[in-house]
Amino acid sequence: MLSLSVENLSVSFPGLDAPVLVIDDLKIAAGEHVAVTGGSGSGKSTFINMVTGLDRTASGNIFWNGQDIARLSEGARDRWRAEHVGLVMQDFHLFQGLSAVDNVLLPARLSRVADRAMTDRAHELLSSVGLSRPNQKIDTMSRGEMQRVAIARALLRRPGVVVADEPTASLDGASGEAVGKLLLEMAASAGSTLIVVSHDQTLIDRLDRRLTLAAGRIKTDTKAGERAQ
Amino acid sequence: MIRFILADIKRMWAGAIVVVLLVALATALGVTVTLQERALRLGSARAADKFDLVVGAPGSETQLVLSSVFLQAAPLPLVSGDVLAKLAADPRVAWAAPIGFGDSFAGYPLVGTTRALISNTTTGFTEGRMFEKEGEAILGAAVNLPLGAEIKPMHGTAASGGETHAGVVYHVAGRLKPTGTPWDRAILVPLQAVWHVHGLGHAHEEGEHEEAGHDHADGDHDHDGEAQHAGEAAHAAEVAPATGETAANSATHAEEHHDDHDHHGTIDADAPIMEDYGTDAPGLPAILVKPKTIADAYRLRQAYRTGGTLAVFPGEVLTSLYSTLGDAKFVLSAVAAGSQALVAAALVLVTVTHVAQRRRQIGALRAFGAPRLSVFTIAWAELFLMVALGICLGFLIGLAAARLIADAFTGQSGIVLPVEFTGQDVRSFLGLLIVAAILAAVPALLAYRQSPAKALRS
Repeated sequence: MLSLSVENLSVSFPGLDAPVLVIDDLKIAAGEHVAVTGGSGSGKSTFINMVTGLDRTASGNIFWNGQDIARLSEGARDRWRAEHVGLVMQDFHLFQGLSAVDNVLLPARLSRVADRAMTDRAHELLSSVGLSRPNQKIDTMSRGEMQRVAIARALLRRPGVVVADEPTASLDGASGEAVGKLLLEMAASAGSTLIVVSHDQTLIDRLDRRLTLAAGRIKTDTKAGERAQ
Repeated sequence: MIRFILADIKRMWAGAIVVVLLVALATALGVTVTLQERALRLGSARAADKFDLVVGAPGSETQLVLSSVFLQAAPLPLVSGDVLAKLAADPRVAWAAPIGFGDSFAGYPLVGTTRALISNTTTGFTEGRMFEKEGEAILGAAVNLPLGAEIKPMHGTAASGGETHAGVVYHVAGRLKPTGTPWDRAILVPLQAVWHVHGLGHAHEEGEHEEAGHDHADGDHDHDGEAQHAGEAAHAAEVAPATGETAANSATHAEEHHDDHDHHGTIDADAPIMEDYGTDAPGLPAILVKPKTIADAYRLRQAYRTGGTLAVFPGEVLTSLYSTLGDAKFVLSAVAAGSQALVAAALVLVTVTHVAQRRRQIGALRAFGAPRLSVFTIAWAELFLMVALGICLGFLIGLAAARLIADAFTGQSGIVLPVEFTGQDVRSFLGLLIVAAILAAVPALLAYRQSPAKALRS
């Protein structure tokens, strides 16, 4: 379980006058489930890239449990991310030709940490997300099933934080609701902090907190109880 | 990782097959050229191995060797018959054997020669025995005729419009063991028979034959003095592409002497073979000489390179020929290398494009925590695997192609071409793999340097 503290973060891209993301101070408690919303170009993807270490800026600090990942080298960020972050994406990013369980295990295998225990956990996770055929090829699965495989993959190494980028956006209503519910349950059972970028109101409403970005800044930061009022 | 790489290759199997085949064909081209050129050099050198020194009339050294050693049908100027007697009597000579050719049967060349040459240049018989009479023939190992078969010789070849010698029949007495030379495709007959078939060589045998009670029907030939030699030369040139003076003379004389064919001689099938040639022996296209020592070989070559003779070491002539072939090989190798370079450049372009198209996949791998080195290894191994497979396949295709060509060549010429890989090929193979490994690193490096965030955004 990881807590996040962002301080004086400013992200600019060449050719743009204004920074695409500016966060003076943001704290997310360990185990908190946070929704990040905002319109197109509001800075959601940049926020995700920064907090997961996919990208880096020279300005500001991003502390996860006190460790500033903005100061890590690219290789060190890769290792940190592999160990602490579970990613779920809109497009699943599963690899054709491999089975469900091979997809779940692929990142761990590439990092050379997949052992028997991890293989067993991959099978358990697939069973937990409701997939009974771990050796089924990805190519033959429905989109809902694919996203379940992606959730199992994200949770394989018991990450301190799960980051989901529009996890239900490419699913139909029923599948999206089931996947959203599953994501919350799995993150809760793994004790992971959860950050979800979404436009799915049903899913957003299930989360503890909602950050709304606009023009690269946090426009609103509301708790579930505050929203209900 | 291997499973992922194989799954990825399987996913894009059509492109993978094209890459493998492109590499295989480009490699095979170079391998075939190298193997074939080497086999041709080795095969021709081995074919000439038994013939230390060849003496003929002044003219083309290369043609003298090609006609005498490789039995290539082409007109040769004739060397005076007394040269044979002189060589036979030379103390520096172990043996000297004349050869005469120009006739053929069923596509096989007929070579008139002596028992001394056959005994000294072959390893014996697989069946039958040496010819003992004028009407007997022995077969090279690759001649597809049975023992006892009748051979009716033809002037030149059927393809060149040759005519069968009326009433001349040899009977097969034996078959030689394989030598891997053009002589495997030859039918060997007594030289005196060749002379007699062409109405030559009676003058110096007359006394002997009369003593033996033989009376030749072709006694109407006038073979006196210089006129005889001129007639012989003209006749030989006319009737056989490899026994005449020159191509030009052949054409001239062919017209003049064509009508003489019918009265050209015949053979006495039961006549004993006389191989003690005197100074009045007819002109000869070539004499194969075995010097007693290496020093003798050089002295003989020197002595018979003046006046009316030309002496050559076949090995030396072949070396000169190889240098010409070497130039051809250089050109072919350059063409092959050029095609390989083009294929390599195309492959790098294709894979760089492929990596660009796979940016999201590579970005996702990185996002999920795959180390950069793993991403590099995947991109590198995928391309290297395909190219390495293509190179292996190319070497096998090249070997198969070279063997097919060699077999076809052996079928036509009788020269066995030893097509095989050597240490040099192993080094080339390893060199190509190293080049492939370096080329495969180009797209892999691009994948390695790719930012995961940018890749996912693409």
